[in-house]
Amino acid sequence: MLRYILHRLLLLIPTLLAISLVTFVIIQLPPGDYLETLMTELQAAGEKADLQKLEFLRTQYGLDQPLWVQYWTWLTGLLRGDLGYSFEYDRPVSAIIGERLLLTFVVSLGAILFTWVVAFPIGVYSATHQYSWADHALTFLGFLGLATPDFLLALVLMFISFTWFGVSVGGLFSPGMETAPWGWAKIVDLLQHLWIPVLVIGSSGTAGMIRRLRANLLDELKKPYVVTARAKGLSPGRLLVKYPLRIALNPFISDIGNLLPEVVSGSIIVSIVMSLATTGPMLLRALRSQDMYLAGSFLMLLAVLTVVGIFLSDLALAVLDPRIRQGAGRSR
Amino acid sequence: MRGPATLPMPAAAGRPLPREQERYYLASQRRLIWWRLQRHRLAMASLWFLLALYALVPFVEFLAPYAVRARHADALYFPPQRLHLFHEGQFMGPFVYGHRMTINMETLKREYQEDRSQRFRMRLFARGEPYRMWGLWESDLHLFGVEGGGTLFLLGTDRLGRDMLSRIIYGARISLTIGLVGITVSFVLALIFGGLSGYYGGTVDLAIQRFIEVIRSFPELPLWMALSAALPARLEPVLVYVGITVILGVIEWTGLARSVRGKLLAVREEDFATGAVLMGGSPAYVIRKHLLPAFTSHLIVSATLSIPRMILGETALSFLGLGLRPPLTSWGVLLSEAQNMNAVVLYPWLMVPVVMVVCTVLAFNFLGDGLRDAADPHA
Amino acid sequence: MRRWMLGLLAGLCMSAGLPGVAPAAEEPPALAARVAAGGLPPLARRLPDRPLKVQTESEAAYGGELRLLIGTPKDLKLLFVYGYARLVRFDRDYQIVPDIVERFEVTEGRIFTFHLRKGHRWSDGAPFTSADFRYWWEHVANNPELSPAGPPPLLLVDGEVPSVETPDAWTVRYRWSKPHNLLLPDQAGAAPTMLYRPAHYLKQFHPAFTEPQKLAALAKAERRRSWAALHNAKDSMYVMDNPDLPTLQPWRLAVAPRGQVQVFEAQRNPYFHRVDQRGRQLPYIDRLNLVLASPAVIAVKTSTGEADLQARYLNFDQYTFLKKNERLAGYRVYLWSTAATAAVALYPNLTTSDPVMRSLLQDRRFRLALSRAIDREEINKILFYGFGVPGQIVVFRDPTLQQVDLRIANARFDLAEANRLLDEMGLTARDARGFRLRPDGKRLDIIVETAGESTEQTDVLELVADTWAQIGVELLIRPSQREVLRRRIFSGEAVMSVGVGGGEFGLPTPDLSPGWLAPVSEAHPQWCQWGLYFESNGRRGQPPELPAAQRLVELYRRWLVSTERAERARIWAEMLEINAEEVFMIGILGGTLQPVIVANGLRGVPEKGIYAWDPGAHFGLYSPDTFYWQGGRR
Repeated sequence: MLRYILHRLLLLIPTLLAISLVTFVIIQLPPGDYLETLMTELQAAGEKADLQKLEFLRTQYGLDQPLWVQYWTWLTGLLRGDLGYSFEYDRPVSAIIGERLLLTFVVSLGAILFTWVVAFPIGVYSATHQYSWADHALTFLGFLGLATPDFLLALVLMFISFTWFGVSVGGLFSPGMETAPWGWAKIVDLLQHLWIPVLVIGSSGTAGMIRRLRANLLDELKKPYVVTARAKGLSPGRLLVKYPLRIALNPFISDIGNLLPEVVSGSIIVSIVMSLATTGPMLLRALRSQDMYLAGSFLMLLAVLTVVGIFLSDLALAVLDPRIRQGAGRSR
Repeated sequence: MRGPATLPMPAAAGRPLPREQERYYLASQRRLIWWRLQRHRLAMASLWFLLALYALVPFVEFLAPYAVRARHADALYFPPQRLHLFHEGQFMGPFVYGHRMTINMETLKREYQEDRSQRFRMRLFARGEPYRMWGLWESDLHLFGVEGGGTLFLLGTDRLGRDMLSRIIYGARISLTIGLVGITVSFVLALIFGGLSGYYGGTVDLAIQRFIEVIRSFPELPLWMALSAALPARLEPVLVYVGITVILGVIEWTGLARSVRGKLLAVREEDFATGAVLMGGSPAYVIRKHLLPAFTSHLIVSATLSIPRMILGETALSFLGLGLRPPLTSWGVLLSEAQNMNAVVLYPWLMVPVVMVVCTVLAFNFLGDGLRDAADPHA
Repeated sequence: MRRWMLGLLAGLCMSAGLPGVAPAAEEPPALAARVAAGGLPPLARRLPDRPLKVQTESEAAYGGELRLLIGTPKDLKLLFVYGYARLVRFDRDYQIVPDIVERFEVTEGRIFTFHLRKGHRWSDGAPFTSADFRYWWEHVANNPELSPAGPPPLLLVDGEVPSVETPDAWTVRYRWSKPHNLLLPDQAGAAPTMLYRPAHYLKQFHPAFTEPQKLAALAKAERRRSWAALHNAKDSMYVMDNPDLPTLQPWRLAVAPRGQVQVFEAQRNPYFHRVDQRGRQLPYIDRLNLVLASPAVIAVKTSTGEADLQARYLNFDQYTFLKKNERLAGYRVYLWSTAATAAVALYPNLTTSDPVMRSLLQDRRFRLALSRAIDREEINKILFYGFGVPGQIVVFRDPTLQQVDLRIANARFDLAEANRLLDEMGLTARDARGFRLRPDGKRLDIIVETAGESTEQTDVLELVADTWAQIGVELLIRPSQREVLRRRIFSGEAVMSVGVGGGEFGLPTPDLSPGWLAPVSEAHPQWCQWGLYFESNGRRGQPPELPAAQRLVELYRRWLVSTERAERARIWAEMLEINAEEVFMIGILGGTLQPVIVANGLRGVPEKGIYAWDPGAHFGLYSPDTFYWQGGRR
């Protein structure tokens, strides 16, 4: 077991290194750099006031250095825990990401919870009542959520929320509530605004989860031991819960590693449409303006999250399933 | 010596089977899948729907009543026109009324009133604006149109007075093919890398797996965003289109490659594969003839489920302003022009392209599900 | 009887106010408590000896807060822009008048003497004196670490630095050997080159006044790489994101932006130098709330009443939507004019690297043909409901913007003439599709590159493409990105680009710079290289090849040093005429409209105004410090 862990850990390192390289290359691909973008913007807007600072900034941030020097600076900074400096916000990257992490997690976790809560009963019902009318209808509904482009759904829901419920548009709080201290009223306000992003993001993942759960459960229900248990007189309900369901949930555990980064990325569009204070709009702006440290470090963070997540879930699976430890690999 | 007559076979052996059963037992793998698929009504409906859609793609110029850039300066933001059958109790065949436009100077909104004194009949195979069919020959025949002087805006018009129905039809060409081209890119990459990885194993496998892991660690959308931002946008529209499809395909192939590898690893241990190798088959031959067919079905299923992700990806990118942009017309571009409150509140017919996107995506998903059930009922 | 008359007289005197004895002006109620508690000096000691008196509406009352929606934290500059407290400023007739300075003198156009107001104080109470100008000049502009490129270009006249004199605490003098007509318009602009700093505050971040070791420790504590980075960060006079930095604007940021803060609160400056006719200190409104939201959502948020005063991030095509919600959300929508000379304009790249296109574009007949083949009326009708003013360069005769100078506008739509001009040039050969051929046999197509940010521009291009097709010229649209586009124009690869019109302001006055009419800046897309040539004094770029362009440069040089108003006016007229004749820039239309949202109850905002950045500072010209809530609250 220990060997397995060590083996995986060792493999992590070149992977992360490669990820950092790929990230850096991608960020640098667009021509020009942050300052050039800024300068063009300022010129176009006719603002001369801050042009003076640009030359200063250029030397300060080493944007006149060759690329590999910039990469090295960034990488060594990352290893020290210094995520770099954001030109656009004029503050350390860790501060900017940190501020937004709480709400990002809230939205993402909300979406995950929604997905589970909705997909679970529907999946179980579908599997146990295969090909029934309700099965088809519910699956269809799940797919509908998958098929609708997120941004349009968010826009329409925002509009509905405003006209029918009178909830203010955009953002996770009503104006004035954000700076208020945490209390019951604030939480209620948050929930009032949270349902749209959670619904939109969650709807995409629900169909997939229903499908998976249904397929897994169906497989299990056809297995001989189920027939035996029924033959021996075990009631269907108790039978369902005792074995097949637990086995069917197996892939869910293994998928957890992947889940959070997926949801974070899925929340980007919705956050942009609804102007939420999460990491999504921040990333888009950073990519557009080539705010190298912010975009690069954040992408790196997401990638690391995924890799670590996969590692952890593989670990969990290895604990559960001895075959994995023998190195037969798992098919996903 | 004992001969055939003494083999322990039941007396019934040798009786001919009923025809259907015979067909069943002799049927190839593909046939079996096809028959099983036919039982899945939803999947079959989706299949016909998609085939119909793709069949229309080469004929968009003929199908659309107006050209893609045709605009009508006196019909901006025209709401969907109603087709009538009866005029004052008399049946006239499908027709539309004329209209009058007034501008409400208070709200600066254009308002259209029906003018019942003017009637324009709808025609099948009407003569409309000229176009070049496949860039080869000129024609002006359209599937349907309206008599001279009338307008046929079945789905309304946009801010430049361009017919939405025509634009959606033209948009189908790009949106539908993006999925296909993208999936081809994915396929090729997946087969190459997955094949190499699965067949050779060892260090090759290890290296490729790490490579795949690196790519998969990036969440989809941010990676798309980053790559699209890097795409030199001043390229010719065709090249931008190719670039976007490559970007979409480049991310998707990793999932496919993993399945290819997984299946190859499992299958190559099978006896028939060993037999082929022992008989002297080269690796390429063995892969092609024996291993691939074993999981072609699986690949097809994966492909069918990847295409809708690409279509949605294209709409997302266009929304963010990173994908295709006007004057290219795709459903994503049409939707990005509708993604403001103006559209939702005042001109909701601008959002109709979403119906096409939803239907196409749903169809692909149902088809993929059906195929999977049919191809691998025990998977 | 006499006693009665005495009483009447006394009463009259008291009500009229004896001359020379100013009635005690009221404190802004928001500050009254602090003054009473001794935390602030009383009003008389906070104002300069002779504050700037501004005429306001008689029912103006103190109180309330103003909510604005902003799209990025950088929009904190609006505190500076809308506050519009400048050394000198534009009045509503676009004449330059004193504001922060009490008076100024210009001698021979080259010696500028500013007289500050005695007793004028920064927002933290420290005196505002000429020492603040001296600090900036000696320790910032001329400090190699803070300004690696040297003093800002505004202060260089033909490369000559000024001699900066501060004869006493209330006088600053800039002296050059040649006239410098750009200085005052710049200082009155929305984003001027700042000539002064709160020295008493910034000194603590400068090694000339603070021990270097202490400074290094300070820099490290704030996670800045050097003292210069720290100084720069603290010195944010324009994007006012440092609440500790003293300012002269009517509102100052109250709390440092941090964390998830989406709301920036700005409070009144207790030492602001303007008062109304009753001697009450401005501003009337106590607080500004700048709420951060994504630009895409701002229109929606405005329509639900989340902003009290909004124009930024609102477009004309949202007017209908905004108007719809007027009653529900409690605001009015005004339509201000933009006085834009060309809201959308085509820029032929006269220095393009393609020799065939270059010679074509440099031929006046070609440009004129392209301009004549644009149906501006139709574009106006389709995209702007007819509110725009069609024209190649739209200039108005007066601030009410009623009268267009039609000769300069030069907007006739004439396909026949356009065709004739092209035929005259010899471009008679046509290809199979009916498009003309260039002299080298290729199809005459013009690729117009856009910055890809505005659907309005693409729409206009589609319409233009239709009419150009009728004279045999094919227009191809290529969306790009701003920096990429700029680079391609510079290198000559781009043949033509589209953008907003050169001079933002179509109301020419002799004091404003006519720079946008001449090839004098690298930023002009139609003659980027010629402009660079001028800017770099011949070191880089290419000299203008066309005699008309050379004449424009000559005229511009003359304007820069002209000390007579009449002469400057003549120069303007000639430059405008040359541009109208030569069609160096193909404007489509100007004078488009800008929706302005004003909450019900907010007074002082004119129903009809000109929304321009420079001059005008958007709302700045109309003095938001004089806006007030009816009854003192929303």
